[in-house]
Amino acid sequence: MQENETPGNGMCGEYQRRMLEIRGAFEAGATGSATIAARSKAMDELIRGLWAQAVKDTPALRSGIALVALGGYGRSELFPYSDVDLMYLLDGKVSEKEVKLPIRRISQELWDCGIRLSPQTRKRSEAEKFDADNVEFALALLDHRLLAGDAAVYERFARVGLPKMLERESKAIMTGLAELTFERHKKYGETLFHLEPSIKDCPGGLRDVHVCAWLKTLADADSGTKSGEPSMSGLAVGDREEFAQAVEFLFVVRCFLHFRHERDDNTLDWQAQDAAARELVGPGRTRTTWNESTASAAYWMRLYFRHARSVERRLTQMLDVVPAKQRAGRWSLPAKTRRGAEPSPVGFRVEGGRAILNAAAGVGGDPAQDPEVVLQLFATMSKVGCILDRASEERMSQALPMLSSHLEEGPVLWRHLREILLGAHAGKTLRAMHALGFLELLIPEFHGIDALVIRDAYHRYTVDEHTMVLIDTLHGLETPQQGSMGEWATRFGGILRDVQHQDLLYLGGLLHDTGKGRSTGDHAGESARMAESVAGRLELDAYESELLLGLIRNHLEMSAALRRDIFDLETVRAFAGKVQTPEALRMLTLFTYSDIHAVHPDALTPWKAENLWRLYLATANYLDRSVDDERVGARVGKELVHRVVAVMPGKRPQIEAFLEGFPERYLRTRTPEQVRMHFEMAERFAEDKVQIGFHYSPGTSEVTLVTPDRALLFSDLAGALAGWGMNIVTADAFSNRQGIVVDNFRFTDTFRTLEMNTSEHANFVASVHDVMAGRIAAEKLLTGRRRGRRKAPKIVVQTRVDFDDEASSHSTLLQVVAQDMPGLLRAVSLALAGQGCNIEVALVDTEGETAIDVFYITRGGGKLDADQCKDLKKALLAGIEANAG
Amino acid sequence: MQKIEAVIQPSKLDAVKDALVEIGVQGMTITEARGHGRQKGHTEFYRGREYSVDLLPKVKLETVVADEMLDKAVQAIITVARTGTIGDGKIFVTKIDEAIRIRNDERGEMAL
Repeated sequence: MQENETPGNGMCGEYQRRMLEIRGAFEAGATGSATIAARSKAMDELIRGLWAQAVKDTPALRSGIALVALGGYGRSELFPYSDVDLMYLLDGKVSEKEVKLPIRRISQELWDCGIRLSPQTRKRSEAEKFDADNVEFALALLDHRLLAGDAAVYERFARVGLPKMLERESKAIMTGLAELTFERHKKYGETLFHLEPSIKDCPGGLRDVHVCAWLKTLADADSGTKSGEPSMSGLAVGDREEFAQAVEFLFVVRCFLHFRHERDDNTLDWQAQDAAARELVGPGRTRTTWNESTASAAYWMRLYFRHARSVERRLTQMLDVVPAKQRAGRWSLPAKTRRGAEPSPVGFRVEGGRAILNAAAGVGGDPAQDPEVVLQLFATMSKVGCILDRASEERMSQALPMLSSHLEEGPVLWRHLREILLGAHAGKTLRAMHALGFLELLIPEFHGIDALVIRDAYHRYTVDEHTMVLIDTLHGLETPQQGSMGEWATRFGGILRDVQHQDLLYLGGLLHDTGKGRSTGDHAGESARMAESVAGRLELDAYESELLLGLIRNHLEMSAALRRDIFDLETVRAFAGKVQTPEALRMLTLFTYSDIHAVHPDALTPWKAENLWRLYLATANYLDRSVDDERVGARVGKELVHRVVAVMPGKRPQIEAFLEGFPERYLRTRTPEQVRMHFEMAERFAEDKVQIGFHYSPGTSEVTLVTPDRALLFSDLAGALAGWGMNIVTADAFSNRQGIVVDNFRFTDTFRTLEMNTSEHANFVASVHDVMAGRIAAEKLLTGRRRGRRKAPKIVVQTRVDFDDEASSHSTLLQVVAQDMPGLLRAVSLALAGQGCNIEVALVDTEGETAIDVFYITRGGGKLDADQCKDLKKALLAGIEANAG
Repeated sequence: MQKIEAVIQPSKLDAVKDALVEIGVQGMTITEARGHGRQKGHTEFYRGREYSVDLLPKVKLETVVADEMLDKAVQAIITVARTGTIGDGKIFVTKIDEAIRIRNDERGEMAL
């Protein structure tokens, strides 16, 4: 020993030499496990050496005190710059006062050596008592190891005192652990997707690995007190390997970060990610020649997120032991679930907030292998928000090959997928399906975006998680929200209620970024191409396919338009040209809102939401105002006409003649099959000039009228429906150059007349026909119906009548907004007829208690002048007021 | 050193950013803003409701440049942000006494 060198200095020097060796070995390719074990061993030697020296100096230390490693050190997992948790455990024989000075000297030596020591001195009686205010200490005790000192003291603690304490307090400790975990996850936004994650504390990180182990220990301790209760079941072999790989990956990354930062810094920041990718940080890493793809930080982070997801999945499984009422955040279970349900004939049941597959039955087979059962189970999960039972998940995982071979595509699959997508808990359910590998059975296209990282400062989530967050955001619009975005969520939620094809909106959300997995540079176009394949497998009809593909293909268009001057008519016109119909506009607006929100929690600001709203508003108004001018011309080659001709080959000239003069909107809002039906109805004019189509549905039914135009046509149809007590929800009316009118009315059955009397359906159609054929006056039906006492409206709507002379080149646009009530449309259309106005186009809509009617009208073949507008307004207001009674 | 605050049309942001980068201006701060000058805004009707647009969306860009760069930077902004119509925005210039880079304590123009 040199002059001035103490024994402690010598030992410290040896420790530091060992650390250099350990670092060298790590940089040469040693695993994380080996590195942390090596440091742990080096630390053991140092501490034992110091203790031996202390005992020589203070013989009282020979008995009654044990040095115990706790926490990570207790597991022999000591990361390069982690704290060292050390407990001096005293039996009653030695007083704290006696050992205070030697303990301080040892601690000083360790601190002087640059080691961050967390020493604790405890009497055995204190250590074996659970303090609910110090759950962390109880958790640290779960990992313990004798380092030096009186082995008997340690044994009494480790074999007797501690197990007894755990037996008594395992539930309380578990509760405390669950609370700490939920708090920590909440702090990190309940997501493992962070641009610069902390690999220790973030969800999916090392702390979650420890929580899994602690829960297992606590559950085992708890099961020891109740005979017959099964202990925690193990994982399947495959899952065990996946989890072990994830843990090893996190080990090596944490070692890498510690050596890189030379302190206990566990943040995988931007530069560290680049360095980790370059140095091929990961299990089994060797210093091979790196290539561009494997050295890419995006690729490396993809690995990280996959491993983090494995850890999170394991944690979710282990949290099964936590009682429902103690669960919080995204692990909450729905409050209302069936209790103790008997096995259900559909193959599963919901019990205790979990969806549980029935046991396999000999003849019927295993429900886990039946795609119908599995899909229904997920649909139920989506609807009620329950989670998947762990054992059921295990069974489904084993059954994936069988499920794949028995999976039926087409309308059956679409029906189930629709249910899943439309459920309020769709995002949570889709994540469970994705984690299981089942989602990729249904939609193989999803595989390419599994954990795919878009590495920039904006995209917080991997592409698959972004998709789920988008779906969550859409569903979130269904309920009121608080905060700075609350008002905007309410407005956009109003648009969601008006979307007729919500199922396609959500399907579009699921598929919109699948193209990113192909790196073609045009992910929107690529996603649309991939979605076409999906649409084919689901056997969507042509209209639905086009709506879906259009949404995906154009899903960036609104964001692009927002970067231009949204108050410039040219911007609005160009954007309107992309969406073409109000339904597509609504879907794209909601999609854009959710897509932006799903990039990053702070991405959608009130400023952006306001601009999005303004653009939506301007485009919606533009679409309504341009209906009359954009009409089908007698042009061969028009794509819309082609689609209709395709379903009626050999009738091109007749079809073109029929379609000429209809607003393009007529063709854009009808499937080719529907247009064919209207054409065929017109072809039957020789038999009957009034052709009625009727489709009944318990929610909203539909009547279509195809007939030559005449005066009072619209008001008569409105009157006929009102006479039957039907409440008109939406309507449109279009006419072609030949003067053939196609009127479509969608209505609800206010008095449930048709619902309760299916035999009345034929009478209803006959009655409407007779009114339209002029055999019965609509007034007769209306006077026969007593209005009854109307309920006071929840919201009072002021009547508003506005004219726009510039929206169309040859018609006057009229907009009427009024309190929705039976007979309103009849009153409005009578007023129009009374003033000699002809309805060129009608667009009728209802929003809550507000009726919004837009008409393009002419008088004497041209626009209305100012005086005529004035007279018409007077007549409308009077008619509406009279109808209101 | 001079601080430039430019309130511009959102649709001009990309062009202004590119123009500044091209002349060597590296750092800038962008804020979403709403405002009006003489243009005041207007009212939009939709489904029977009135939506007034009193404050129009704008973007505020702030950057600090060396004295000798000021004229060049201002001119770059004007050139690309100008449309000639009301609503183009405004530029404000204020003197900056000191600038400090937090990371390494560089001061003055070195910190820009």
